[in-house]
Amino acid sequence: MQKSTIQYLLINCLLAVVLFSCGSVTKNYTPKKLDKTSYEVPYFSDSKTDYVYKTNITVYGNELSGIFIAKKINDTTHRIVFTTEFGNKLFDFEISETTFKINSIVSELDRKILINTLKEDFRLLFKKDYLIQEQFENEFFNIYKSADGKRDNYLFLTKKDQKLEKVIHSSQTKEKFTVFFNSENNIFAEKIQIIHQNIKLKIELNYFKSEN
Amino acid sequence: MKTKLFLLTIFFSICQTALTAQEQKMTAAEIASFKEDVNVVSKKIKTLSTDFVQYKHLDFLSKDIETSGKMIFKEPSLLQWQYKKPYNYSIVFKNGKILINDEGKKSAVDTGNSKIFGRINKLIVGSVSGNMFDDKEFTISYFKLKGQNLAKFIPKDATLKKYIKQIELTFDKEEATVVQVKLLESSDDYTRIVLKNKVINAKIDDSVFTN
Repeated sequence: MQKSTIQYLLINCLLAVVLFSCGSVTKNYTPKKLDKTSYEVPYFSDSKTDYVYKTNITVYGNELSGIFIAKKINDTTHRIVFTTEFGNKLFDFEISETTFKINSIVSELDRKILINTLKEDFRLLFKKDYLIQEQFENEFFNIYKSADGKRDNYLFLTKKDQKLEKVIHSSQTKEKFTVFFNSENNIFAEKIQIIHQNIKLKIELNYFKSEN
Repeated sequence: MKTKLFLLTIFFSICQTALTAQEQKMTAAEIASFKEDVNVVSKKIKTLSTDFVQYKHLDFLSKDIETSGKMIFKEPSLLQWQYKKPYNYSIVFKNGKILINDEGKKSAVDTGNSKIFGRINKLIVGSVSGNMFDDKEFTISYFKLKGQNLAKFIPKDATLKKYIKQIELTFDKEEATVVQVKLLESSDDYTRIVLKNKVINAKIDDSVFTN
């Protein structure tokens, strides 16, 4: 009797570990055979386009608004500038998958933890190529799992028209942050939200057309 | 021969454009008279409203980011800066406070103790009214253009200098009022604000400056 209780506990523990290592992201989805091994994100990929968004950043209850400007300046790198509505620059970065350069940042925002968070967020926002190791599905999405160092990215593509609607960046156990895309044509994202699960940070980008 | 003439014409027209656009330094007498003209006009300003178009120039972009709206000022220090296109964003400077209305989302910042915001307020009002000739705050240089005068202000204060490298105010020669404000962050990146449909001393109620 005692032996079987121990066995039962052991199995339960093992099961818990297995479920745990599966991660919280996919627990409600059904595994599926891979239908592709790589995926290329269409957003932010055109070097001729000025990507200009009205932006709201909510961080621990504080609001910061301004204009987010991004441009692909070569094959690997995006330039990102964030200005106030008046036009003064708050920060100016150049970022690729492996490099990061600060051209300028105002002293009020010059905090290592903030810069590192933004760096991670923007790197995922601009990430173009994903290698896929696993696939899942639910009613509306095909979900692709792509390893990212010690972490994973989960790409959610609509079953209806193969649009990338969100990317979840997750550790083995916890979702870290999610990028949501809204796109009419599957080339350009009109609305983007970056929402953090572990810190109270939300970045919302709304595309606006300049008048000229 | 025809081609040569054609090239020559182009060459000369380019030269001419370059010449007319060239800035010519004012003499001491011209500076004195220009400052006097601007001071006379700006002293008369009790209220001022103007439409504006803002061009944000970043050298790496293919075109400037254009936004536009209306600016209203009332003595001594009420100021509303309102963007209407392509989005609604309005900011009011009032009694040491900044009131923001961002597409209906309202917030307020108390700037009572912030020196930099006091300076910015003074700077905006000064830029639009033209009365900014403060040699203690800026190193100022004066130029003549065709039908216009140009004053360039380099901040002396280290904090302000971090945000703005130089301010250039362009004045209509006849009216002695500001027609363009250019804020330079670096040699390549700047914000250019063109003022038009200026109305001076129309009756403006204080209630305008709520957000």
